[in-house]
Amino acid sequence: MPWIKRLTVLYRRVFRRAEVDKELDAEVAAYFEILVERYMAQGMSREEAQRTARIKCDGPEQIKQQVRQAQMGATIEATLKDVHYAARMLRKNPGFAAVAIFSLAIGLGATSGIYSIADALLLRPLPVPKASSVIAISPVTDQVLPGLNAISYPDYVILRDHNRTFQGLVGAAYSFLGFAPDRERLPKMKYGMFVSGNFFQVLGVEPTIGRGFRSEEDLSVGRDNVVVLSHDFWVSEYDGQRSAIGETMWLNGIEFTIIGVTPESFTGIDQFLRPAFYLPFALSPRVGTADNLNQRQVRWLTVKGRLNPHVGIAQAQGDIDAITSELQRTYPKTDGNLRMKVESELQFQAEFAPPRTAFIIMLGVLAFCVLLVACTNVAGLLLSRSTARAREMAVRLAIGAGRVSLIRQLLIENLLIAIGGGAVGLGIAYAAVRLFTSIPLPSDLPLKFSAQLDGRVMLFAACASILSTFLFGLAPALITTRQDLVSALKATDAVSSKTGKPWGRNLLVAGQMALSLVLLVVSAVLVQGFRADLIRGPGFRTDHLFVMSLNPSLLRYTDAQTKQFYKHLLDKARLAPDVKSAALASAAPITIGATQIGMVPEGYQLERGQEAITIFDNVVSDGYFDIMGIPIIQGRGFVESDQLNTPTVAVVNEQLAHHYWPNQNPIGKRFHLRNETGELIEIVGIAKTTKYLSISELPLDFVYLPFAQNQQPQMTLIAESESPAATSLAPVLRQVVQEIDRDMAVFDARSMQDIYINRAVKTPTVIAEIVSTLGVMGLTLAVVGLYGLAAYSVSRRTREIGIRMALGANPLSVIKMVLKQGLVLGLAGVAVGLLLGFFACRAITSGTFFNFGHVSVLPFAAVSLLLILTTIGASYLPARRASRIDPLRALREE
Amino acid sequence: MTKQAELLQGTLDLLILRTLELRPLHGVGISDRIEQVTRGVFAVGPGSLFPALHRLAEEGWIEGQWTELENKRRVKVYALTKTGRTRLAVEKRNWEKVFTAMNRVLAEES
Repeated sequence: MPWIKRLTVLYRRVFRRAEVDKELDAEVAAYFEILVERYMAQGMSREEAQRTARIKCDGPEQIKQQVRQAQMGATIEATLKDVHYAARMLRKNPGFAAVAIFSLAIGLGATSGIYSIADALLLRPLPVPKASSVIAISPVTDQVLPGLNAISYPDYVILRDHNRTFQGLVGAAYSFLGFAPDRERLPKMKYGMFVSGNFFQVLGVEPTIGRGFRSEEDLSVGRDNVVVLSHDFWVSEYDGQRSAIGETMWLNGIEFTIIGVTPESFTGIDQFLRPAFYLPFALSPRVGTADNLNQRQVRWLTVKGRLNPHVGIAQAQGDIDAITSELQRTYPKTDGNLRMKVESELQFQAEFAPPRTAFIIMLGVLAFCVLLVACTNVAGLLLSRSTARAREMAVRLAIGAGRVSLIRQLLIENLLIAIGGGAVGLGIAYAAVRLFTSIPLPSDLPLKFSAQLDGRVMLFAACASILSTFLFGLAPALITTRQDLVSALKATDAVSSKTGKPWGRNLLVAGQMALSLVLLVVSAVLVQGFRADLIRGPGFRTDHLFVMSLNPSLLRYTDAQTKQFYKHLLDKARLAPDVKSAALASAAPITIGATQIGMVPEGYQLERGQEAITIFDNVVSDGYFDIMGIPIIQGRGFVESDQLNTPTVAVVNEQLAHHYWPNQNPIGKRFHLRNETGELIEIVGIAKTTKYLSISELPLDFVYLPFAQNQQPQMTLIAESESPAATSLAPVLRQVVQEIDRDMAVFDARSMQDIYINRAVKTPTVIAEIVSTLGVMGLTLAVVGLYGLAAYSVSRRTREIGIRMALGANPLSVIKMVLKQGLVLGLAGVAVGLLLGFFACRAITSGTFFNFGHVSVLPFAAVSLLLILTTIGASYLPARRASRIDPLRALREE
Repeated sequence: MTKQAELLQGTLDLLILRTLELRPLHGVGISDRIEQVTRGVFAVGPGSLFPALHRLAEEGWIEGQWTELENKRRVKVYALTKTGRTRLAVEKRNWEKVFTAMNRVLAEES
């Protein structure tokens, strides 16, 4: 409390100078007046009384001056003096300062870098005013893929109109749209966002030019063709010209009027996906393929709400629960199992993609370990310095310095070190961010990964610096200032008293060893796991393949036209020059286009309230398994004769077959598609389990459905080239597409090799690099700490070693003695580290989504050996120095 | 000079804190009271009183509040805070120590 008071006083003095002065004026004047009145009461005239008063106390101006000096002296001056003194102490010990700052820089750099990554991935709030009152509403589901935990439009409307705890609820949904600035030009694929009419108003986003939507523009279907551009899109397509407002543009062949541009700061309601433009939901039936505005079973909206003032999340949850139970009663068919959760944006993001959250937590914990090792290092340095400074402190205490002021002095010194470390650390953080942003995103999606060193990261670094000051500085400061004055003044070295054995430092160094072992083991396990994944391969071929995506619904093809289009496409592509074979898939493997579907094996007992089992799926044409080189273990793949009028079939992977039909022949077994009442589908083939989403995933249940029986508009064409350079197929395939329909837009065109390298090789490599960098940082710091301790203890024991040698100990035995001391610490650290490392590895390898390698003996053994070797190395130099001690000189030194 | 000022400062703090222990007072009231109780040995003028008051307020030992006297004059009245009370106890003990120590020294010399 006194600190808070102090700060307010200081604040008032610096920023409310005039106010403080005026108050002082009034106070002194009142004092004067009372005196004057008193003299007048004694019979003096007013002038006389004033004169006497002024003589009695030096003039009011002088008083005020003195008061000010007293104030200044009390706080600011003392602090400034401390800072000056601290800076001088650091300058006097440049080696100490350099090592301390370097250690902290590594620790703070690692944490700040990871923080900025976490910030970009998860922590950064929505770019809207008062973001904390904007919360997310999403259904409770067991789906893990982003985008599928959504709400249907009719449900959204009911939530929006019947809630009593929100200022407003907004809905939004992404959609690919073909954009053309005018009729003549070929449409380009752009990511747009359908939004509710109240979107900008509720989020508090005011378009910089033009205007946002009016609520009535979202009322009648297709009446107001208005669009608001995102700032980035406006700059790239319209050169940031104000005249763009009022111009027309074409989306999926429909004319729109541009009415506004969002502010640059507003990048949408997702961390990564930045829409190019926003249009009202009422337009979606005209622009899209289907009218989903009345479909209660089509769930496609992300819903956010701004809470009423003084309303908590729990209260909002109660409100929403009441509406959902009403929905359950009214629409049992579609909403019978509907449950909603209301949560903060951060919670929502964390749950939205669990692997991402797990990844961030892992990096965060590792980085914090590095910071801990760094702080330990500096604490160790300070402790050894504290013994050296024992006399200085004793003298200062003896001549009357308060312990508190000495501790403050030491903490200010430490703070200077921390600030220096923080500043250098930001440089390291910058490098980390550069490394991380080098992860490429293999898609035409407007994904932006914007890790940067902004104000939030700076603030974090500052807080971490201050925190670490106390972490590493408080204990040494307390120890330094708590001592027996007499013995400290008498002895040349405070440690020569028995109590001073550096147990604390031994413990710190052993702890450092343990932590760096954990870091190294974790990174070794990760790297080994990634490498093993890469050697095992994805389970499908990546060479000689070229893929491109198409979506005829953008040209408003009917289902029959779409079917015709893809039939032509496959036929023509297979005949094109240099093309060996071709197939279709709803998404190429390990791209971001993966989808999920519900299924219920025949006779399977679902849990209560469970609608279906959600699994990943891919809709593929005949020839897919051949072209991808995925072996069919049992049964058959899809053939051209699988048609709408033939029995509905599916191919499942081994994993799924074992999962639901263990020890049975899965061929001929059937399952319901989507839910219990869904169509029955027969399994005709078992495909080998491959990687589907990422190279490090654990085996997933997976189902393939034939394109002919599950037609959908957006598909990916996969073509195999005769020549090894698959990219040479790009012009050929584009030609094929143009020949069928010259307006058809092609997107995400790239070779499978390219996708594989970017998604499967580069991403894990960067992650492994980050983690092993953290490990190496930890080791470096630990070695510095160990070396420091060994050197320090040798210098303390100079006399003892001198006596030993005078009594006949040979240099070798001295070396052995010093080495032994280091080795004991190293081994203790390794032992503890092995235990911790084992649990750490268990934690990361038991993940439900990723296979981060296996806990095996090799990395533990290798890292332990490495650590023991570095221990020996770090204590060898001081040991050699000890062995060269000249007994005569050592003894004379006293 | 500084040595003496420091000594004086310490004594003045104790005087002010002790004076305010009885009841809250404004500046003139404090001066009067000290002068009265010490029978004129300590005459604390505003030149040393105000800096001391502000320093003590800054330490959080006393607290000033603007109040109106009967004759409508607005003055700042200072009162002891809780931390001020503990501080006063410490200062009292210190003073007693110094006092007995000094007495012993003097007794020995005579």
